[in-house]
Amino acid sequence: MQAKQCALKQGFINCHDCGYLVKITQQLSSCPRCRSHLHERKPHSLQRTCALLLSSFFLYIPANIFPIMTVTQFGTGDAHTIAGGIIELIDGGMIPIGLLVLVASILVPSSKLIGISLLLLSVYFRWKINARRWTFMYRVIAFIGRWSMLDIFMISILVDLVDFTGVQIIAGPAAIAFAAVVILTMFAAENFDPRLLWDKQ
Amino acid sequence: MNNTSYQACPECDLLIDLVQPEIGEKIHCPRCGLLLLRPRKQSIERTFALSIAGLILFVPANFLPMVGITLLGKANSGILMSGVISLFNENMWPVSIVVFLASILFPLLHISLSLLISGHLYFNRYNRNLVSWMRWMHHLDEWVMLEVYMLSIIVACVKLMSISPLILGWGLYAFITLIFITALLTSSLDKELFWQHIEQLSKDNKHAS
Ligand SMILES: [Zn+2]
Ligand SMILES: [Zn+2]
Repeated sequence: MQAKQCALKQGFINCHDCGYLVKITQQLSSCPRCRSHLHERKPHSLQRTCALLLSSFFLYIPANIFPIMTVTQFGTGDAHTIAGGIIELIDGGMIPIGLLVLVASILVPSSKLIGISLLLLSVYFRWKINARRWTFMYRVIAFIGRWSMLDIFMISILVDLVDFTGVQIIAGPAAIAFAAVVILTMFAAENFDPRLLWDKQ
Repeated sequence: MNNTSYQACPECDLLIDLVQPEIGEKIHCPRCGLLLLRPRKQSIERTFALSIAGLILFVPANFLPMVGITLLGKANSGILMSGVISLFNENMWPVSIVVFLASILFPLLHISLSLLISGHLYFNRYNRNLVSWMRWMHHLDEWVMLEVYMLSIIVACVKLMSISPLILGWGLYAFITLIFITALLTSSLDKELFWQHIEQLSKDNKHAS
């Protein structure tokens, strides 16, 4: 029964861009409704996701080691890493905001990296999984990704506002690496095709 | 129009025999639980009106000062673009470009596209680019990050509060309203209905010529 329910096995392709259901025929290569290219599944889903994921793993290291911003006060510079900034917030008594930044810039990116790796492994090694639960996990990963940009936007606001003679905030090299991690993991999640979780059932 | 049609779930590829839902009803995929259809009342009219409102609000949200601080007797205030420029001047151009795209260009493009599309549908005008506009808008969806930016403003304000009193400008209020408008816009835009209308318009156009 399970196999019969799958649209592809019944000879239909679901258009990725507009959701139009197309009957597979020899001459059709693009969607009759939106003219986009038809693919049975997202093309090279596993390879692309894997490549994007590996690059974000590498960039995640400089993103956490190097300072993300430097506060200079009358000549003395004070460099913060991502974790350092959070510790300072919590030490300063701003606990809710500290926790918020902790979630957005540490928990979200790291759980995304782990989550996408698990999704890839489960499809590649055909693990016996509860596909519904894993699809839900995929949806959560795809949803939370953008919220990691919090730190990047905040740096752009602080760098702009705190710019006085004597007191300045300057963005650090980790900002570039971190922004790249957020964007690459967003692309990785976009390229992963959750239907692969159901195909191997 | 026929009221039952086959559709496939985009996340689990289940073939579903769908009965066209009533307004206010929600149809979820029975196998993976994804929200498939949620028809909205007067989707085209509302999207059209909200896009106009959003585009107008875009001007004060981008050109009026949002937050200001005073330190050592000097005042400093910022707008969306000035953050991008400051980063650029610090040789942080990759970050500056990302901030520019996610907080200024993509939101502007998204609202403009939804105005173009809903405008054409509202006046029943056919345009051969409608299909491309719909696809661009679909791909832009995820990269419009105004609400994330709002959260960043809050965090930045809390951080700055300890060193200086804050001055909240009209740009900030315009920006908050803009976020509400874009949220309403996203929820009123019924993509399936839009696609069906576009399909109908292009069919009519072919018959006419
Ligand atoms: Zn299509
Ligand atoms: Zn489904």
